[in-house]
Amino acid sequence: MAGDPSSGWVLIAGMGLAAFCARAIFVLPGSRLRLPPAAERLLRHAPAAALMAIIVPDLALVQGAWAISIDNPRLVAGLAAFAIAAATRSILLTIAGGMLALTLVRVLAG
Amino acid sequence: MRFQPGQIAAFREGALASAPLLVGMVPWGVVAGVAMVAAGLTQAQAVAMSVIVFAGSAQLAVLPLFIVEAPIAVMLATTLVVNLRYVIYSAVLAPHFQHLSRPWRALLSYITVDGVFALFAGRFPPGDPNPHKHWHFLGGSLLMWSGWQASTCVGVFAGGLIPKGWSLEFASTLGLIALVMPLIHDRAVVWGALAAGAVALLAARLPFNLGLLAAIASGIAVGLAAARLAPRKETGKD
Repeated sequence: MAGDPSSGWVLIAGMGLAAFCARAIFVLPGSRLRLPPAAERLLRHAPAAALMAIIVPDLALVQGAWAISIDNPRLVAGLAAFAIAAATRSILLTIAGGMLALTLVRVLAG
Repeated sequence: MRFQPGQIAAFREGALASAPLLVGMVPWGVVAGVAMVAAGLTQAQAVAMSVIVFAGSAQLAVLPLFIVEAPIAVMLATTLVVNLRYVIYSAVLAPHFQHLSRPWRALLSYITVDGVFALFAGRFPPGDPNPHKHWHFLGGSLLMWSGWQASTCVGVFAGGLIPKGWSLEFASTLGLIALVMPLIHDRAVVWGALAAGAVALLAARLPFNLGLLAAIASGIAVGLAAARLAPRKETGKD
């Protein structure tokens, strides 16, 4: 899929529609509806859960198999990035520190 | 059509109030541009994605999935979930923009972003009678939109010059880590996020990346349960 340009366009069109629908759902119909508190709570938990469900496998899986060890450069760099993000709240420092950690671990591992 | 002075003033005020947000957004846009190209999108697709989707977190979130060739349905579901916060914004904004024409409401929907929404909601309480508040919103949003398009373009065209061996596609995952941190401000959300990560690992072997959707559902369920079991303490120690 990553090599097939047409699927990229389908993805972009679909994502555009999904992003627009989420933003327009109440504004476009001109609704006065209030979200029920239960729905609001559910919506609050969704983004963090989705992001973690993407981040963790990207760090801890290598070709589909668990790679939870200090020999996995992405895992070490990712944990370093979490620490930097928690300490600084800076996007730039998190990305720069994570890339630096990735490079260091690879160099040290030879 | 002639613009009234009040409209121009509101537009200017909105743009000026939002200008500091550019400091955080521009580096983020450059990273997103680089990461889109590193993930295998063509330069035209990367630019089109920024214009059509115009949602940084969703753009970055699909890239790790695009690289492992996840099914399109899973990537679209992910986009929707990451963008669910916009449903809340839409509910808050709807009464403010209710009197506008449909093209206006479509434009303001498309151009909604986190920072401008937060400023607008703080500036105009529900029922505020200011007749030019949509111009305020448009001023801030249009500034953010222009900054996002310009900065992702820089990343897209600079990204093509960077050698593949640098693993720059990893920057998108690092960007997501920076993005998730401010979201997990209360303990129930932390439990939900940890559960989502754990289930994503355990269910990694499920076909069609269904593990991802299972992980998101588990994360939401655990987060809601944690919030119910232990009502949030404002002064609790970490």
